[in-house]
Amino acid sequence: MQTILDRAAGLSRRTFLQLGVPALGLGLADLLRIPALAAESTPSASKKSIIVIWTNGGLSQQDTYDMKPDAPAEFRGVYRPIPTSASGISITERFPLQARMMEHMSLIRSVHHENGIHAPSAHWMLTGRFGPTLARIAPQHPGFGSVISRALGARVPQMPAYVTVPKTEGFGYQGSVYLGKGYDPLEAGADPNSKDFQIPNLSLPDGLKLSSVESRRRLLKKFDTLRRDVDATGVLEGLDTFKTQALEMVTGERVRKAFDINTEDPRLRDRYGRHTYGQSALLARRLIEAGSRCVTVNTGYWDHHDGIEKGLDSQLPPLDAAIGTLIEDLHERGMLDDVLIFCAGEFGRTPLINGHAGRDHWSNCFSVMFAGGGLKGGQVVGASEKKGGGVLERLVTPFDLLATIYHTLGVPLETHYNDGNGRPTSIVEAGQPIRELI
Amino acid sequence: MKLPVWVYRLLIAVTLLLSCEAAARADDVAVATSSLQSPAISFLNDVGPILTKLSCNSGGCHGKATGQNGFRLSLLGFEPEFDHAALVQEDRGRRISVSSPDQSLLLIKATGRVPHGGGKRLDVDSDDYLVLRDWIRQGSAGPRSDEVKLVRIEVSPTKRVLQRDEKQQLQVTAHFSDGTARDVTRRAIYDSNMPEIATAAANGLVTVHPRSGLFAIMAQFGGEIAVFQGVIPIAGNAAATAAVAAIPPTAYPNIDRPLFEQWQQLGVIPSTPADDATFIRRATIDVCGTLPTPEEISAYVADQGTDKKARLIDRLLERPEFASYFGLKWADILQNRGQGYSTSQQRPSTTLFAAWIRDSLAANMPYDRFVSEILTATGSQDRNPPTLWYRNVRTTKDYVESISQAFLGVRIQCAQCHHHPAERWSQADYYSLAAVFARVGRKGGFADAEVPTFETIFLKDEGEILHPRTGQVMRPRPLGGAEFKLSRLDDPRRAFAKWMTSGDNPYFARTMVNRMWGHFLGRGIIHPIDDARSTNPPSNPELLDALSQDFVKSGFDVKHLVRVITGSYAYGLSSIPNETNREDKQSFARFYPRRLKAEVLLDGISQILEAPTQFAGGPGQFPTGTRAIDLPDENVAAHFLDVFGRPNRNSACECERTDDPALVQALELVNSKEIQGKLTAAKGYVERLATNKSPVEENVREVFLRVFGRVPTADELVAAVEFVKSEIDQKEAYRSLLWSLLASNEFLFNR
Repeated sequence: MQTILDRAAGLSRRTFLQLGVPALGLGLADLLRIPALAAESTPSASKKSIIVIWTNGGLSQQDTYDMKPDAPAEFRGVYRPIPTSASGISITERFPLQARMMEHMSLIRSVHHENGIHAPSAHWMLTGRFGPTLARIAPQHPGFGSVISRALGARVPQMPAYVTVPKTEGFGYQGSVYLGKGYDPLEAGADPNSKDFQIPNLSLPDGLKLSSVESRRRLLKKFDTLRRDVDATGVLEGLDTFKTQALEMVTGERVRKAFDINTEDPRLRDRYGRHTYGQSALLARRLIEAGSRCVTVNTGYWDHHDGIEKGLDSQLPPLDAAIGTLIEDLHERGMLDDVLIFCAGEFGRTPLINGHAGRDHWSNCFSVMFAGGGLKGGQVVGASEKKGGGVLERLVTPFDLLATIYHTLGVPLETHYNDGNGRPTSIVEAGQPIRELI
Repeated sequence: MKLPVWVYRLLIAVTLLLSCEAAARADDVAVATSSLQSPAISFLNDVGPILTKLSCNSGGCHGKATGQNGFRLSLLGFEPEFDHAALVQEDRGRRISVSSPDQSLLLIKATGRVPHGGGKRLDVDSDDYLVLRDWIRQGSAGPRSDEVKLVRIEVSPTKRVLQRDEKQQLQVTAHFSDGTARDVTRRAIYDSNMPEIATAAANGLVTVHPRSGLFAIMAQFGGEIAVFQGVIPIAGNAAATAAVAAIPPTAYPNIDRPLFEQWQQLGVIPSTPADDATFIRRATIDVCGTLPTPEEISAYVADQGTDKKARLIDRLLERPEFASYFGLKWADILQNRGQGYSTSQQRPSTTLFAAWIRDSLAANMPYDRFVSEILTATGSQDRNPPTLWYRNVRTTKDYVESISQAFLGVRIQCAQCHHHPAERWSQADYYSLAAVFARVGRKGGFADAEVPTFETIFLKDEGEILHPRTGQVMRPRPLGGAEFKLSRLDDPRRAFAKWMTSGDNPYFARTMVNRMWGHFLGRGIIHPIDDARSTNPPSNPELLDALSQDFVKSGFDVKHLVRVITGSYAYGLSSIPNETNREDKQSFARFYPRRLKAEVLLDGISQILEAPTQFAGGPGQFPTGTRAIDLPDENVAAHFLDVFGRPNRNSACECERTDDPALVQALELVNSKEIQGKLTAAKGYVERLATNKSPVEENVREVFLRVFGRVPTADELVAAVEFVKSEIDQKEAYRSLLWSLLASNEFLFNR
């Protein structure tokens, strides 16, 4: 049975079945919303997971994935291109590790959208929708990590489905908005490269001993006895489930172990690089391995309006170590086909170097990177113009990027969720998975 | 419904809808399809509805804004001229073949004779097929202006008591402007508001599932809507009739009567009244957003007066916390948002507006005046605080949607771009309401990106709104009302405010009483509270009417409304269910528990542990002891509040504040610095407990009274005392005890 609003949205019974009927529709959503939440969080059939490397602020495509060695000096920048393991593809000399892994990677060199301001652009790229302005910055739609979290849940139920490392960025657009608080990311909240790295939310506050937590847990069991049947909405039951899960996370083994990066082989830690990017990528792999579904590694800030060379000189090598080693590590573990890697930011940077030896915001044509997840590697999709200004061929929109991600992970593109007003809202309004990758 | 058939079809339809079974299969209903006999088939009245019924024009198919594979229809067929042109003229007319109608692309696609993304929608030679074919054969004429128009549809029956597992065939009749009527049962589409209780098949056959309750089936044909309302009682309602009849006389019989009647009709026995300790906690939280102190609870329980409930509510209504708590609610609805550009200086504005709202509530300003002052406000925002509503409500879309949702209880968002799919609202309605605000002018102020502070709001000489599709200049007109008669000297907002706040306005009082009922009873009579439409009927229309009339009669007296609702029999009921009302979610036959709001939760923990939260202000910080319910805007940094669902104040919808449970909330309870900090605060409650000379039993009793609002059971007392005595570190012992109660549902919920 559909509601008229669902009909307006064109929701099929098939969609209902795939998503679990309770998640959709007005009347149903009312009654069964929260049990649905628990149901959706059970391990999904999909084996695929995703690691996002988010280059907050805007990575310069022309100095990295889309070099223009033949352009005039004021366009091409200081780095030289180097060949890669994929014939005919070259990338910046600052990315030697990725160059070795290029056979597993695909570069999209023709991404285009029409905004040049950080926040609205980040909303575009992370939610697939235009919306906020600088003055009205609040998120209007869920980030794709939250959508994935809701549609698929964690691979292993004890694990948080969606984690951001070391913190949530993207101008606040990596969250759940109307999907419900349950689909917000768990923010690591600390630098995995720090000596005594611990997750604030999982580590006990100063002065609280584990033995006290055990007493508290026992007492809670004794006194938390409000009859469940006083609440028919499922909120109470949902909260109980999360309380148990939280106590399990704080006192139990699986989650703490996954976060305990110190147990990792030091040599592998060295390969990822002893810096925030590298250790964050390593932590992402550990979490995915343990059963999380989506881990976003935030690597801001790439907003190099001034002295871009200096900024990139310090940031590109660790980024390369993080991404290159991540791909290699996943490949060695036989996980690469099940883990999609997506590297993007809200936009790229101007082809022309400005008066402050920097590059400004550029959404007209920029590059993103996909690897793993069973997608084809070793190729370039699309092309930019000679000096990099516009799309020369194969324009790719943020819609297409999200469609590619959802498709790869097994989230049906026709999935709709009700927004706060009950209006069925598509997870991606238009666009097609990039066929060259599939 | 034959499952294998549609499963098979779904396999064909990869991305598209197969929502409705072909009407042709619904041959168990006798329907007089006059169209088959009539000489001329009408695009408007025959063809369009078939396209809708077959879902051709749904939002997932050709009805979406970008169309599907180059063929676009208007969403749900609300623009017949457009649809006709798309079918007949577009694409060099190849969709229609007058010379050989059966070979029209329209028909060979719909019948799946050539590949169709939407699969097979139609059987060759079915009734619908023949209508479409004959229409083509007759020359595929479009809608004509002199054509008979559909005036309304009727569903029969309109209301019925049904037994579990019973079926009911609905009949839908369309009435036309020439006085004729015809049966359109098979052409109408059906929709249930409670699919877990009852559903309707494509042929209008209602199937009741083995559950009890209230439901409505909406029938829609040609943009007109009619609703069937069903009641499914628990088997045998004699016991409920007797139980309700035995209820002694109540304080507000006019309000209680519709509920009593509904319980009897449903066969639901209401839960028993809540005990005194539960009631004072409930009422103090709902009226003041505050927990009662152990002293208040004990005094109330000991009070032997028969009017003690009423006196309690009176006391609560005079406390400043009442104005703070409802001020918070209205600051959400009125979008008193603090967030802006990073250099933003919004705090003085949000503080001033929050204070004005709070003062208005404390002074019990009549609700009609409260709203009128906001809507018609002019002048400088630093002198006339109601103008501050216009600070964050700035665009046509903001005006129309905020007002509709906040004051009229209507979600009109859909009609910005297309006719509302589930209501009668058109784009013309949307933009006529927008025209009311077309002359709102702004000047001065400190330009701070897009949210200037302290502007002056004034009435411009000029200003118009165009219909986005027709380009027509829209004249100011309220929803469902007549165009205003205005001279150029009139502020259209005044006419609008007058229309809205008049006693017989169909939306205004109802929306407010429904909002307040939802606040106190945990669910609106219309639910969600700001989503009134004929497809979302009130669960108890008589109750809604009684409350509205009483509110209007009182002169829109908000405190009076609070007295009435909190004095209702339903508000006083226990939340503990009995066998008959366990599944009840609509008839208020027991109290529906809900979570404490983020601010109330944080303030409650501070109050219990005697450790206030220090909120960062800007500049400096808020005075120590400032409560979360007193914060002027959502931009005061407080992680705890965000985690527990504080809204962004991005719209007028109360739905922005969520009570969805989340893992991060549980983590916040289990081991946050916030709570641990309060548990270890110097001079806090824990320190006092651990160092006072009172017997442990006495301390434990007070701890329970503080946190749960009740004394411990004998069993709980023994367990808690035993625990505290067994621990060497007394502070840690009381911390653990308090924590375990604070993390319990009995504390986290108002029940």
